[in-house]
Amino acid sequence: MGAITHTPAERTLIDLLDGAEDWRAAARDAVVRFGLPTKRSEAWKWSDLRRASQGIETAGTAGFRINGEAVADRVTLDRDGELELVAEAGISVASIEIDVPAGARVALKERYSLAEGAFPTARLEITLGEGAQLERVVLCDTPESSIPVVRSRVVVAKQAHYRQATLTFGSKLTRHETHITHAGEGAEVELGGVYLLEEGRHADFTSTVTHTGPGGETHQLVKGAVAAHAQGVFQGKFKVEQAAQQTDAKMTHRALMLDDRAEIDAKPELEIYADDVQCAHGNALGAIDETALFYMRQRGLPEIKARALLIESFLAEPLDLISDETLREELASILRQRLGAIG
Amino acid sequence: MLKINNLHNKVETQDGEEKAILKGLSLEVPAGEVHAIMGPNGSGKSTLSYVLTGRDGYDVTDGEMEFLGEELGELEPEERAAKGLYLSFQYPVEIPGVPTITFLKEALNAQRTARGEEEMPAPEFMKFIREQSKALGVSMDMLKRPVNVGFSGGEKKRMEILQALILQPKFLILDETDSGLDIDALKTVAEGVNTLRSEDRGMLVITHYQRLLDYIKPDVVHVMANGRIVKSGGPELAHELEAEGYDKFIGEAA
Repeated sequence: MGAITHTPAERTLIDLLDGAEDWRAAARDAVVRFGLPTKRSEAWKWSDLRRASQGIETAGTAGFRINGEAVADRVTLDRDGELELVAEAGISVASIEIDVPAGARVALKERYSLAEGAFPTARLEITLGEGAQLERVVLCDTPESSIPVVRSRVVVAKQAHYRQATLTFGSKLTRHETHITHAGEGAEVELGGVYLLEEGRHADFTSTVTHTGPGGETHQLVKGAVAAHAQGVFQGKFKVEQAAQQTDAKMTHRALMLDDRAEIDAKPELEIYADDVQCAHGNALGAIDETALFYMRQRGLPEIKARALLIESFLAEPLDLISDETLREELASILRQRLGAIG
Repeated sequence: MLKINNLHNKVETQDGEEKAILKGLSLEVPAGEVHAIMGPNGSGKSTLSYVLTGRDGYDVTDGEMEFLGEELGELEPEERAAKGLYLSFQYPVEIPGVPTITFLKEALNAQRTARGEEEMPAPEFMKFIREQSKALGVSMDMLKRPVNVGFSGGEKKRMEILQALILQPKFLILDETDSGLDIDALKTVAEGVNTLRSEDRGMLVITHYQRLLDYIKPDVVHVMANGRIVKSGGPELAHELEAEGYDKFIGEAA
């Protein structure tokens, strides 16, 4: 196979990572050899990153902050905090490793502050020690011209509890990847996701949960609503290794097409090597219930208001995972505001 | 109050063809009166309720319908609601995630805003809904649940009447309100409807059976067949229909 012709974005990324070590070196090597992922790659078939990054040619800066301050690449998190990904315009790379010590109970609020035209590739490595609890609430409200690509790897030790709730409004291309190694033995994982996409926006939830030990629980619920000329992508995979007997795992993705010209692509997958497990997945796409819409209008609610109420009531469920009521209401209110604009 | 003249409509069938349902229906309900429409299945009764309230796909192809002196045809469903037109649904719709009490507050205030009135303050609304619910045996617990979700047939119909008591419409269309009700529920619902009877309010009671009309006594009974009113008369007409069936009237309509 001959060498590929790199796009300006790829050349910039290769230069940016010149002389880098560890995972950065591996990332650089992949871009040199294959370029940015395109739809020809199975894992990226609905999210063509190479294409979306056209027109972005300069390097930018990106970094993680905790409670408003820049931090080292590796932190120990033993109390509640706010994590912020900040990125200027252009291509950038950021990374953080977070350890939640055994037995700690922590809530982490995560936000993205991206400039117009920011294309940050961010890497999070999260480790939960035995019996640790982490509730991670992610709000991804970024400019349409930005391309956040955030890949989280989470290692969940036995007896630990990892809970994640993500609300995203998408952008030119938004990719949230979550890859979980689940030790079982009393460990529990809850994944909630909501996407609401206005015209021209794209969001991709891709996740894998690998159960490596027995008796683990995983519940995943992702809900979306997609307007005309917008695209929602859900790729969920549960892998249950042979040692992970008595795994209880359930994956649900449900989405509303707000227009015939909306696109929603979903690939739920189960890969099971143990014989005594309960695993299920459900995937349903639909349109707004016209009968309910008429019912609400007959009672006097204007069409836009009725539509927004119906979409909100459909989408809100995964946000119920958020145990902090103030934070849950904050996200619900942001969602409501965006719904008002979508009409 | 409600004047319908030579009303025609078409709906699209599942195979994409147009089918005429209302074929020249004329009817007039003055304020203060309760009119019943009886007719066999497929005569167009429910279609009439949807045409009047402006459901998508139920456009008028010919004729007029006037409410309080204003033509309804061009108005959106919510505009008709704000003018005081209320439909009690044959099959009330479940709306998961929206508490009944929130829904009713939003609906009432949307109607008030559309009419240029002030919104009802929250404490006043709570007092009002508590009073009205009590009469119908609807608990606060039910009001906190999502609209119609998990309610029995009888509870749904009671909720329809409670909504009317809150929204205080000028005109009610009751579409098969008796379907799915046992006799006790029917009595409760009828009592609620009867408290809404007044000199400045009209009602159209659509029913397949005469039974409901023992509890909601109509001033006029119309027989509907094949998309038109084929006979009108006093309350005795309902008993005649019950005894003799619809056949002879359908014969007259053909």
